[in-house]
Amino acid sequence: MFLAQSSVDFASIAWSSFAPELVVVCAAMVLLLLAVAGRFRLAVAAGCGLPAVGAGVWLVASGRVLPGAIAIALGAAAPALVVAFPGRPSLTQSWGSGLTLFAALLLTFWQYAEVLAPHGGLIVPTEALQGALANDGIGFFTRITVYLSALLVVPIGYGYLRDRQIGRAEVEPLLLLSVAGMAFLGTANDLITLFISLEVLSMALYVLTGLARRDRRSQEASLKYFVTGSVASAILLYGMALLYTATGSLDLAGIGSGLGLVTSPPVVGVLGLALVTVGIGFKVALAPFHLWAPDVYQGAPTNVTAFMAAAVKAAGFAALLRLYLVAFPNYASLWIPVLSVLAAVSMLYGAWVAIVQHDIKRMLAYSSITHAGYATIGVVSNSDAGLSSTLWYLLTYAVATLGAFGCVIAIERVRRGEVTLVDLRGLGRTSPMLAGILTLCLLSLAGVPATAGFIGKLTVFQAGVAAGHTWLVVIGVVSSVIAAFFYLRIAGTMFLEEADESRGLPLVTTGLSAGVSVAATLVLFLGIQPQLLLQLAENAAAVVR
Amino acid sequence: MSIGPITLTLALPLLGALVLAFVADDPRVVRIVGLAASVAAFVASLVLLVDFDVANSSMQLHETMSWIPAIGASFSLAVDGVSLVLILLTTFLVPLILVASYGSVTVSLKGYVAAFLALETAVLGVFAATDLLLFAVFFEFTLVPMYFIIGIWGGANRRYAAVKFFLYTTLGGLLMLVGILYLYSQTGTFDYEAIRALELGTTEQHWLFAAFLLAFAIKVPIFPVHTWLPDAHTEAPTGGSVFLAAVLLKMGTFGLLRYALPLFPDATRAWAPWLLGIAVIGILYGSLVALMQSDIKRLIAYSSVAHMGFVVLGTFALNTTATTASVVQMINHGLSTGALFLLIGFLYERRHTRQIAAFGGLAKRVPVMAGFWLLVSMSSLALPGLNGFVGEFPILLGTFQTAPWAGVLAAFGAVLAALYLLWAYQRMFHGPLVGADNEHTTDLKPREIGVLVPIVVLIVAIGLYPKPLFDLVEPSVERVLTEVGVDAPAVEPAAAQTDQ
Repeated sequence: MFLAQSSVDFASIAWSSFAPELVVVCAAMVLLLLAVAGRFRLAVAAGCGLPAVGAGVWLVASGRVLPGAIAIALGAAAPALVVAFPGRPSLTQSWGSGLTLFAALLLTFWQYAEVLAPHGGLIVPTEALQGALANDGIGFFTRITVYLSALLVVPIGYGYLRDRQIGRAEVEPLLLLSVAGMAFLGTANDLITLFISLEVLSMALYVLTGLARRDRRSQEASLKYFVTGSVASAILLYGMALLYTATGSLDLAGIGSGLGLVTSPPVVGVLGLALVTVGIGFKVALAPFHLWAPDVYQGAPTNVTAFMAAAVKAAGFAALLRLYLVAFPNYASLWIPVLSVLAAVSMLYGAWVAIVQHDIKRMLAYSSITHAGYATIGVVSNSDAGLSSTLWYLLTYAVATLGAFGCVIAIERVRRGEVTLVDLRGLGRTSPMLAGILTLCLLSLAGVPATAGFIGKLTVFQAGVAAGHTWLVVIGVVSSVIAAFFYLRIAGTMFLEEADESRGLPLVTTGLSAGVSVAATLVLFLGIQPQLLLQLAENAAAVVR
Repeated sequence: MSIGPITLTLALPLLGALVLAFVADDPRVVRIVGLAASVAAFVASLVLLVDFDVANSSMQLHETMSWIPAIGASFSLAVDGVSLVLILLTTFLVPLILVASYGSVTVSLKGYVAAFLALETAVLGVFAATDLLLFAVFFEFTLVPMYFIIGIWGGANRRYAAVKFFLYTTLGGLLMLVGILYLYSQTGTFDYEAIRALELGTTEQHWLFAAFLLAFAIKVPIFPVHTWLPDAHTEAPTGGSVFLAAVLLKMGTFGLLRYALPLFPDATRAWAPWLLGIAVIGILYGSLVALMQSDIKRLIAYSSVAHMGFVVLGTFALNTTATTASVVQMINHGLSTGALFLLIGFLYERRHTRQIAAFGGLAKRVPVMAGFWLLVSMSSLALPGLNGFVGEFPILLGTFQTAPWAGVLAAFGAVLAALYLLWAYQRMFHGPLVGADNEHTTDLKPREIGVLVPIVVLIVAIGLYPKPLFDLVEPSVERVLTEVGVDAPAVEPAAAQTDQ
């Protein structure tokens, strides 16, 4: 019987449901192998590339052209990149991971067109792998956000890592593993998958946070993140155990129906809900579970901070959305008020404390707490509109925050240390392009029209008002005004003050300027012509229940 | 899908701003591009005037493009009489402001002109939008260029003023956005006419009216929330002050007339007496504070509070006479206060001070400037024969019909206006000519006269023959008042009560 269970029928596996992650995980392994291969790099690359090309040819032959073409391209790219950058392994790694992430993004859209919504319109949610994964809107849109974030972080961070001499071989594989964990978290449909993907992404991030081995702040951040993160994971796990006790089910839909039955003890279920809320609240940095965020954001290498701010938030909220909408609909009268209060506290507290910060990274950390509050408005709306607005909000937040951190990196590279408000003085005169992009991203975070952030806030507010949470939306407005103050202060320091001649110009390399420009373009595009992706977000309001 | 003169009017300044991003930072090129774009927009808006059907009271010349169908928002524009005259005022003033600024702005002229052109597009969008989301977008977006105009090219205390301006107005704007989202949740569309047709309960109307009122009251600014204005006006560069006084403040009164009144008629009737009271307080308070100012620019800034108080008074008097005149007064205030700020700017460029005490007997040295100053002051204090009179007088007349007490008190404001404007003129331009600075002040240059003459011509023309302006505005105003439920020239309390 054991044998019968463990024999795997390859044909019955729904490969398409995790095709993007498959590519990312395989690429992470290959890059790790390449890093340790020494002078056998080319042989290893070719050895890994050949099976990929073979699989690609088979895929094309069997009619799946795009995944096949991607497999062939990536398989060929492995040895090609090794040959193209002899003696510069970090460049090979960066290009490799960049291509992989681009491929994952392509596969995400391929999956949308082929599997999720073959006839257009609303996504048809299906389960895969015996219910472990959910092929639905949350998974789809989270993939877009996390893969896009990682794709932008790679070029933005390349020169920075080299400058600080912390660009070791494990960076890119860890980044890829972490992003795969995030994508899995977006699709995780039972508690085990959810917890494992959460741990995969967290573990990789703990290490990435401590990349700067000689920088005490980075070490401190890493340790803090690890310790508090582990506690949060333990709390989450305990909550999951209680949920299992209450319902006898690990899969979210089962828990959802189980909690509605009179036979399940309500105390255990509610306790499980509370502990899960704390655990996930920690991951997305909702006040009052945010205490780790400022220190970790400040201490971590800035490209890792950017990645954390943009992608972890998206993945965490994906899990949050799925848990509350699928597993806890019967407890809606309990968690909606609680989460509303958390959202209100996050919005006000984050904005309030950010005002007194001088370190830009720390300021953006507090602002990320505020934004977690806004995204939660969509969650507590407990509706399709709320779901799609949260997903959309996280995307708009991700592009703006990546652009902002990218600009901070450029300034940090000359400063070689903390970036405070003083360092931005007169940047509008000395490097207007960079200052302009930073201003644009900050205006987007502040929610000014013609930027992505405005449409993001608009949709969550819209969902909130429609669901009757007008008071929460009004608090959101008040917090936006407070937040506008410190975003404007940064913009004002750059444009309204005279430059300090003694300071060096920000260091902008090709990768950084490419990444930041793409982020800025997206901020404008999503702000002025959001229809395309907003429609996708609306179509994504379909969940496996 | 249709693109017409309104879209063109909106697009031309923005196009100019985009062109500026790609041309060399040569002042001559920048000047030509800026002037060309703004004049082109003016010409396009004249086409609008020609196409406009005066007899028709509803929105016309509709232009609609798809924007965000996913949330039911479209890029739709149209004009009625009120928005048309404000669009014309805007496009008329921007070229003059740019020419006036060409002499004084030395730091990054390119950015200045680009910011102004972007601002012009946003303001025109506010006046022309018939989609509430589009309106809110334009309304909010006006803050960004204005923030930079005050913040980069402003006076010594410019950062404080710029941030204060931004935060005040963004708070109002966002609360209004919440109101708009509530209306959306009731109708599923942002379309103005659809939302106008919506029947709202009385409680809903009061809350929504409060949200909209706050946004517009901050913008106008109405008395207790006016404190950003003196700072912003004083610190802004000349062009910024002119545009702020002449056009940006009108966004508030325009918003009241276009949105707050017709969308929430019951709340409007209930709040009207209170708003009349606040308007009167604003008039008297603004006038008295203006009287006390030692800085001439701050004086005019406070006079704006008083003058806009008249506009609010006329709007909430809720009869055709007063409300129509309040729209006319918006134009008049734009012209006369705009011209005053221009003159102050010209004087400041010569003397680098705005303290009234520093001037004296200037009329002997700068007779042309003194002449313009006197004429514009007369217009501002509503001398019969000039434009201020044809606006202010009917406002008082109409208010007397609705609320005699408000009319009586507001009339004192008109007296005070004469006092502070003439007293300032007397202190600056008459009396003995003392001090080398006063001795060596030079008179207006041809470029500056060229900027002032078109404004003064309009001031006199409207004063002598205001009928075309009234004809343009009246049908639209009457439609609004019908919506509010007060179609008779004077309010009949009985009708107002039974209409609930």
